[in-house]
Amino acid sequence: MGIKIDALKCTNCMACEMACGYHRDDGFAFLSACIVPYRAREKKDYFGVLLKEEDSLVVARPEGTEINRIGEEADPDKEADASAKPMLLREACDLCEDMKYGPMCVKICPVDAISVEE
Amino acid sequence: MEYLSNDKILVVDLAKGDVEEEELSEELVAERIGGAGVNAHLYGKYADDDPIVLGVGLLTGSMYPASAASVLTAKSPVTGKLCHCPVTLKVGIEIKYAGFDYIVIKGRSDKPVYLWIHDGVADIADAADVWGKDVWETTDAWRKGVGDDLLQTMVIGPAGEKGLDCAQVCCNYWTGPDRFGIGKLFGQRNLKGMAFRGMGLLEAAEPEDFVDEAFELLEAVKDNDFMSKKGLGPICAALGETDAEEWLSPVVHRHSADYFTPYATNTFAFIDEDPATVTETAKPEPGVLISDIPALLAFKKLGLSALDAAKAMQACARQGVDPLAAATASGKAGKTAIDEILAQVAATTEPAAMEGNGVFSPWCPRKPIFGDFGASDTDAWWERRQAVAAIFGIQPVFAVMCPQLTEESMISLSNIGGELELDPETLDAVIGDIAG
Repeated sequence: MGIKIDALKCTNCMACEMACGYHRDDGFAFLSACIVPYRAREKKDYFGVLLKEEDSLVVARPEGTEINRIGEEADPDKEADASAKPMLLREACDLCEDMKYGPMCVKICPVDAISVEE
Repeated sequence: MEYLSNDKILVVDLAKGDVEEEELSEELVAERIGGAGVNAHLYGKYADDDPIVLGVGLLTGSMYPASAASVLTAKSPVTGKLCHCPVTLKVGIEIKYAGFDYIVIKGRSDKPVYLWIHDGVADIADAADVWGKDVWETTDAWRKGVGDDLLQTMVIGPAGEKGLDCAQVCCNYWTGPDRFGIGKLFGQRNLKGMAFRGMGLLEAAEPEDFVDEAFELLEAVKDNDFMSKKGLGPICAALGETDAEEWLSPVVHRHSADYFTPYATNTFAFIDEDPATVTETAKPEPGVLISDIPALLAFKKLGLSALDAAKAMQACARQGVDPLAAATASGKAGKTAIDEILAQVAATTEPAAMEGNGVFSPWCPRKPIFGDFGASDTDAWWERRQAVAAIFGIQPVFAVMCPQLTEESMISLSNIGGELELDPETLDAVIGDIAG
């Protein structure tokens, strides 16, 4: 079971990041979220979602999802997202196992861009 | 104020070059709630200095749907009234997460400066290197300076520096709700802008109850038919501009939303890139983010193609000019060719005609979008709806779209999250005070 992200449906609203941060910190915060819309290419209108899992970093881009195994050497020809660095230090997605709503990012996404994949 | 808050008011004296902090008392929140309500109080407290006040809504940056906005309050050079201008996109929430609830700016600096607000620290920083630069160059310089592309900014361009009534305070790179000439006030004070970044944590008094009620509300919001749509085209159609969506479609790239705003109220138009591109374009500046529906429609009425309208909107964003003012000036001068209009953007001085009572920004369409709020007097309904949004921190366009975001729900979530006892009478009193 895992989180599936449709980056083309995403409207970059950051609700998933907030809901995940709430799960981690019991307050309203973005600091510890393991799911983060990337929005550093603002002038290019290029955005998607990053998800830190136990063994991988999922990069849901508009053109398709890329799964990078953590620990493997990155492609030197590819420029890494600056936001990927703090992501790797965060706790991995636990599917909000202690939350009554299940994965909070799925519950909060207003445009249903995030779902649970069995 | 312990909850939903940083408990901090910042008072900036640009003339002396110093900053002071005050506590945000629970009594003040109980009486004035937040956002424009507290801003107006702080304006009155420092009225001798004719300050600019920036404040967050009580629910801003929370799990209340569409809690995206902060608000700039100042004496407008356009209307002569105390006005309340929304701060949107993701800038509104960054102010709160950067560590302050309210920022009072008084005095005039003797040299160009900007405010750099980060993780509860406030600095008055030198802006000599960006004075004379446009909005895009300035945001780029500040982001590069701190090595963080997520820095959120409020910036003036050349129009603000020249002290023009048509000058906007822009958010990051884009034009927005400032029809009030607050950009002029920044320029007159040698204030190039503000930059925000922070990783704060806001506590709620009863977090689980807050989330339960917020999710219940979200489910009701998601039942709306408009949730199958995105962007400015359907909004234009709902406002009676039935051909606008088709007119706009050749330049539409993607639609995006302000923080946790269920409907994407921003549309990005590609100018020198194929709008069908889904991979990251190699073009560094391919287009413009548009949120200003009246301005977009005003350029359309000049007979422009959507591509040329986007070019005009992009020029306004760079110059920090209200695009409705530029469209109005172009129309008055009989200019319809895009080259003439682009020249007109930099030559615009006069503000756009103000609709409504001049307190809330008519950047937000002045009637219900999609839904039916059952209002008998639409003007009075709109002014009240904008007041409520400006107090609690709700995205203003979504506020006139979504009937489920009731005043009762905002009061209820504020009480649950803030350990408060707000009631409709308190809200009525604050609205009465700020709505002019």
